[in-house]
Amino acid sequence: MSDGPRGTIRLAALTRSYGRTTAVDGIDLEVRAGELITLVGPSGSGKSTILRLIAGLDRPDGGQVLVDGTDVAAVPPHRRAVAMVFQDYALFPHLTVLGNLTFGLRVRRVRRAEADRRARAAAERLGIGDLLERYPDQMSGGQRQRVALARALLRDPSVYLLDEPLASLDAQLRFATRADLLALHRELRTTTIHVTHDQHEAMTLGDRVVVLAAGRVRQVGPPQQVYDEPADTFVAGFLGSPPMNLVPGGGVLGGDEAMTLGVRPEDLTLDDAGPVTATVEAVEALGSEAILLTRCPDGTRLTVRTGPRPGVGPGDEVRLLADRLHRFDAATGRRR
Amino acid sequence: MKRPRPPLTGWAFLAPYAIAVAVLVAVPALLNLGYAFTDHTGLTRDPQFTGLANVRRMLDDRFLLDSLEASLFHVALAVPVRFLAAVGLGLLLAAPRPGGRWFRTAVYLPTVIPDVALAVLFLWVLNPLYGPLNQLLGLVGHSGYNWLADPTTARIGVVLMLAFPIGEGFIVVLAARRLLDGRLYQAAALEGCGPFGQLRRLTLPLLAPVLVLLAVRDIILTLQVNFVPAYVLTDGRPANATLYLPVYIFDQVFEFSGFAYGSLVTILLMLITAVIITGLLLAVRRWRVLR
Repeated sequence: MSDGPRGTIRLAALTRSYGRTTAVDGIDLEVRAGELITLVGPSGSGKSTILRLIAGLDRPDGGQVLVDGTDVAAVPPHRRAVAMVFQDYALFPHLTVLGNLTFGLRVRRVRRAEADRRARAAAERLGIGDLLERYPDQMSGGQRQRVALARALLRDPSVYLLDEPLASLDAQLRFATRADLLALHRELRTTTIHVTHDQHEAMTLGDRVVVLAAGRVRQVGPPQQVYDEPADTFVAGFLGSPPMNLVPGGGVLGGDEAMTLGVRPEDLTLDDAGPVTATVEAVEALGSEAILLTRCPDGTRLTVRTGPRPGVGPGDEVRLLADRLHRFDAATGRRR
Repeated sequence: MKRPRPPLTGWAFLAPYAIAVAVLVAVPALLNLGYAFTDHTGLTRDPQFTGLANVRRMLDDRFLLDSLEASLFHVALAVPVRFLAAVGLGLLLAAPRPGGRWFRTAVYLPTVIPDVALAVLFLWVLNPLYGPLNQLLGLVGHSGYNWLADPTTARIGVVLMLAFPIGEGFIVVLAARRLLDGRLYQAAALEGCGPFGQLRRLTLPLLAPVLVLLAVRDIILTLQVNFVPAYVLTDGRPANATLYLPVYIFDQVFEFSGFAYGSLVTILLMLITAVIITGLLLAVRRWRVLR
C-alpha cells in the first residue's frame, strides 16, 4: 500500500451488468479518508452493487476499485481491510453473540482466549456485553444491529461498508440508532460508506451524499447543498419529502417553454397578495406542520408545506407566493 | 355456566386416518405382540399361549445370530454410504449451474425404479462373467469378484445397489441448502472463510437438524429395505451372509409356518432400531447441534 492516510477509495469508470441490466454504469467517485459518505437512490439504482464491488463480493465488468491508491481487483474480500454490515445483518443463526463475534477471529486462527477477550471488548463498547450468550433469534432488531456493528468493529478495517443498516428498525429506534452511528463514526474516524434509500438518513448521516439513479451518479455534495441546488430534476424530485413541485414549461410559476421550474413545498407560502391562485384539495395535518395538496386552474398540482393549523380546508381558494425557484432545462433536466 | 362443547369437526376430519391407523397398524401391532408368546403357525385358528418358549428358542438360534450379524453389517455400511451420497450430491447440486437440472434428475432417477427392477438390473451389474462392474475392474487390471457367491462381496453388492435409490434424502438436502441465506456465506467470505470452512462452519451446522432427521430415517429404512435385494439377488445366501432380519422374519412366518416366532423377531428388529437411534441421538446431543 502507498503512504498517506488509510481508507481512501477511488472508483474509476466502475461498471457491472447482470444480463441486460446495467446495475452500475461507469461510476467515478472519490471517498476521502475518514469521510462518512452516503449513497442514496431508489431501489435498483446500483447502490448495493457498488458496496459489493468495493467489498470484493462481486467483480466489476469494467473499471477499477482503488483502495489507498492500489487497484484491489486481484485482492480477495477478506484481505481488503473492509468490513460490511449487511441489510438484516446476516448474523449466523446457529451461533451465540460471542460465537458470531469470534467467528472471523477463529477463522484467522486467533487463539480462543484472545478472540474472546477482543469480542467482549467490542461488545462492551456497543453496550451488548450482557447478551453474549444469546442467539440471534432471541434478540430485538436493535440488539442484532449492534452485534453486526460489533462484528464489523472487530475486523478493525480501514473502510466500513453499511448496507441499509437501519432499514429493518422501527422508526423510533432508527432515530436513536442514527445518532449512535454518527457518534461511533466521530469516535473512530474511519472511512464509512453508507447505503440507504431513506432520504432522512441521507440528509442527516453523511458528510457528503451521492445521489444515484439507474447505475449513474446524479450528484455528489454535502447534503444541504444537494438539497438547495439539485443538479437535475431527478435529484430535485428524489430528495425532500414531500418532493419538490416540478412544473414543465413553467406554467403557473411563470417562465418559458424551454424550462422546467421547481419549487420546494416549504418555499410556497400562503399570501393574499401571491400571484398563484389554487384550490385546496386536501390537508394533511402532521402535528408540527401541515401539507396542503392544491390544484391550479390549469390543472397543475402544487404541494405546500405550512405551519400547523393553516386555517384553510378542502375547497378553499388560496393565493400562493413562490420563493427560491429552481430552473431546469426542459430537454435534459439539468439545472440552469 | 355451561362450557361450550368443542366442535367435533376436527375429530371428523381426523377420523378416516385414525381408523386406518388403528385397524391397519395399531391392532396388528398389538396382535403381533400377543402372537409372539404363542405357538401360532399362521395356518390354524387356535394359537396356544406358550409363555417364554419362543424367547428360549431365540436365545440359542444360530440362524438368528447370523441374521443379526448380517443386518448390523448392512446398517453399518449402508447408512454412511447412502447418507454421504445423498448429502454430498445434494450440496454439490444445490447451486444453480449449467446442466444442473440433468444431474439432479440423474441422481433422483434410481429412486423411481421399482426395487425389484433395480435388483434384477444389479443381477446383471454384479454378474462375474459379463457384468459391467467386473469389466470396469478389469480395466484397472483387477480380475474381479464372484460378487454374489462370496459372503463379504455379496453383502457389499447389496449395499452397492441400495446406494442408488437415495432420491428422497437428496431432495431434502437440496431444498434445505437452498433455504440458507446467501448473505451468511458472503459474511463468512468477508471473514476469510473458504469453501471448506463454509461447509464446516456454516452449512453442516445449519443443516444439522435436517441431517439428524435424515440419518434416523435412513437407519429405520435401511434395516428394512434390504429385503427385496436379498430376496432377488441372493435369497439370504451365501452362508447366510444376506439373511437380513426382514428376510429371516419372512422365512419364519411364511416359509416355515413359524408365525409366532417371526412375530418375536419383528419385536427384536424394532428394539434394535430403537437402540441404534437412541445411540445416535445421544451422540448428537453431545455435539449440541440441536438447540
